[in-house]
Amino acid sequence: MKLKRFFLRYYPPGIILEYEQSGYLRTKSIDLLDLTPECVSLVVSEIKQSEPLITESRAEQVKELVVRLQQKRNQKERHRFCFCKLKAHILPLTNVAFDKSGARFITGSYDRTCRVWDTASGRELHTLEGHRNVVYAIAFNNPYGDKIATGSFDKTCKLWCAETGKCFHTFHGHRAEIVCLAFNPQSTLVATGSMDATAKLWDVESGEEVATLSGHTAEVLSLCFNTVGNHLVTGSFDYTVAIWDVASKRRVHTLTGHMGEISNVQFNWDCSLIVSGSSDKTCKLWEVVSGKCVATLVGHTEEVLDASFDLSGQLIATASADGTAKVFSATTHECLVTMKGHAGEISKICFSPQGSRVLTASFDKTARLWDVQSGECLQVLEGHTDEIFSCAFNYEGDTIITGSKDNTCRIWC
Amino acid sequence: MEGLLSILRRLKQPPECEVRLLLLGLDNAGKTTLLKQLAAEDISHITPTQGFNIKSVQSSGFKLNVWDIGGQRKIRPYWRNYFENTDVLIYVIDSSDRKRFEETSLELAELLEEEKLAAVPLLVFANKQDLMTASPASELAESLNLHTIRDRMWQVQACSALTAEGVQDGMTWVCRNIKFRKR
Repeated sequence: MKLKRFFLRYYPPGIILEYEQSGYLRTKSIDLLDLTPECVSLVVSEIKQSEPLITESRAEQVKELVVRLQQKRNQKERHRFCFCKLKAHILPLTNVAFDKSGARFITGSYDRTCRVWDTASGRELHTLEGHRNVVYAIAFNNPYGDKIATGSFDKTCKLWCAETGKCFHTFHGHRAEIVCLAFNPQSTLVATGSMDATAKLWDVESGEEVATLSGHTAEVLSLCFNTVGNHLVTGSFDYTVAIWDVASKRRVHTLTGHMGEISNVQFNWDCSLIVSGSSDKTCKLWEVVSGKCVATLVGHTEEVLDASFDLSGQLIATASADGTAKVFSATTHECLVTMKGHAGEISKICFSPQGSRVLTASFDKTARLWDVQSGECLQVLEGHTDEIFSCAFNYEGDTIITGSKDNTCRIWC
Repeated sequence: MEGLLSILRRLKQPPECEVRLLLLGLDNAGKTTLLKQLAAEDISHITPTQGFNIKSVQSSGFKLNVWDIGGQRKIRPYWRNYFENTDVLIYVIDSSDRKRFEETSLELAELLEEEKLAAVPLLVFANKQDLMTASPASELAESLNLHTIRDRMWQVQACSALTAEGVQDGMTWVCRNIKFRKR
């Protein structure tokens, strides 16, 4: 094995090693998820010990990289967002998503289209037409960003070329509306979840159905691949969460304990934990290996509508119909801060890539930006004339898009 | 109450005690005013509906999930998005706008041809009866050829969404026919 070069990954912090092994170029990543300001030499010596590719002669280089990651992490985010552009569909929007670089984003709509936009100019690059009902779930195959998947109430999922807008495949097989989907990290599979109580895996290349994941007894509302791509998690209206082994298409664990419908499920970065949000007003944290519930995050007085890890997996943000958002520690399970200010339920929540800010989308027609440490509201993004269904940060954390029932998306930068 | 999750919740096959009412009609027929009147909300600031509004109301032991869909010409082709699991179709007409009776009649005829709305009971609200120029419900029924409908229960009800007159009578008919349909 021979080390060729280093890559830096800012969010979440990590060093990617490119190396040669038996004539092939390979990469592996050293995750530095809990990088704190004072620990450079400790981190470097730990890396040296655990990673054979990092020899004494490379230590100085690694140290420089760690310092750069720390500097990036300590940079204060002072960016204030201004409303830049407004883009419209004919009917309400459903979901929005950025590609990896944030140069483009996509919007799904009740007008049965998905539109691809250039973020900087606001120009519409493509209208993906062909679905016969609401386009509900959408995704780029990040980090590549050359394909887009759309899931529709017409029961089909379509795979598109992000560059030309051409439709590669239409996936037929679900017996009810498709409401969630995801690419695996390798971009070889698309997973779809449906109101027909199943999830399905589809082959990106051939367009064939690979597997039907059945076992849930009610609608599958959310799903998520882990960072490696060997596990898929699904959350259902049947109150349960299921972990699936992607290679064998078998169910590994059924996570029971919630007393209400599951609104969202997500893996943390290192694939060790799953968070689930539920209409039983709680979130639960589950250990992936054992399938055991390790914590129940309580405090909301109404349904939890969304729950999300930060990129490094240290924090969990929750959004509730009670109009508040909360941030919990993923390790101590304590509620660190409660964010109050929205005048209506909060339907979506996400962390900035840096993890220092949280973005919320609400029924009260505003999106809000919050400081994770203090819980203080840093900014109210006003302008939508109806409730906001979806919101997203780009990778740099300096652009936001919001999608609303008012038929428009807004770009804030 | 709102948000995408609640929209998905309403996509589900509704339980016995819940029904889905679909409110359709041309633009400016008064659908949103009617919806707000049903939900006992303020009706003084209503703008053309660009997408849809959903409200839930209790009536006769049912939870009525009422979907009010925008009626402008360019968004009528999307009405079909909302047909699934409809229990009663409520079609609203501006009774004072005689010039558009033909247009509204054509739109209704198309709806009645829709497979997903087959045998779904139809209530026609002859709205805006508070206006002097409003045609009576009987005249409207005639110009829409309602008497030729044979494949479903139907009723025409004179009303004013503004004053609420006749609205309750219409809803009583709706609830009676849900019972008929659901059991």
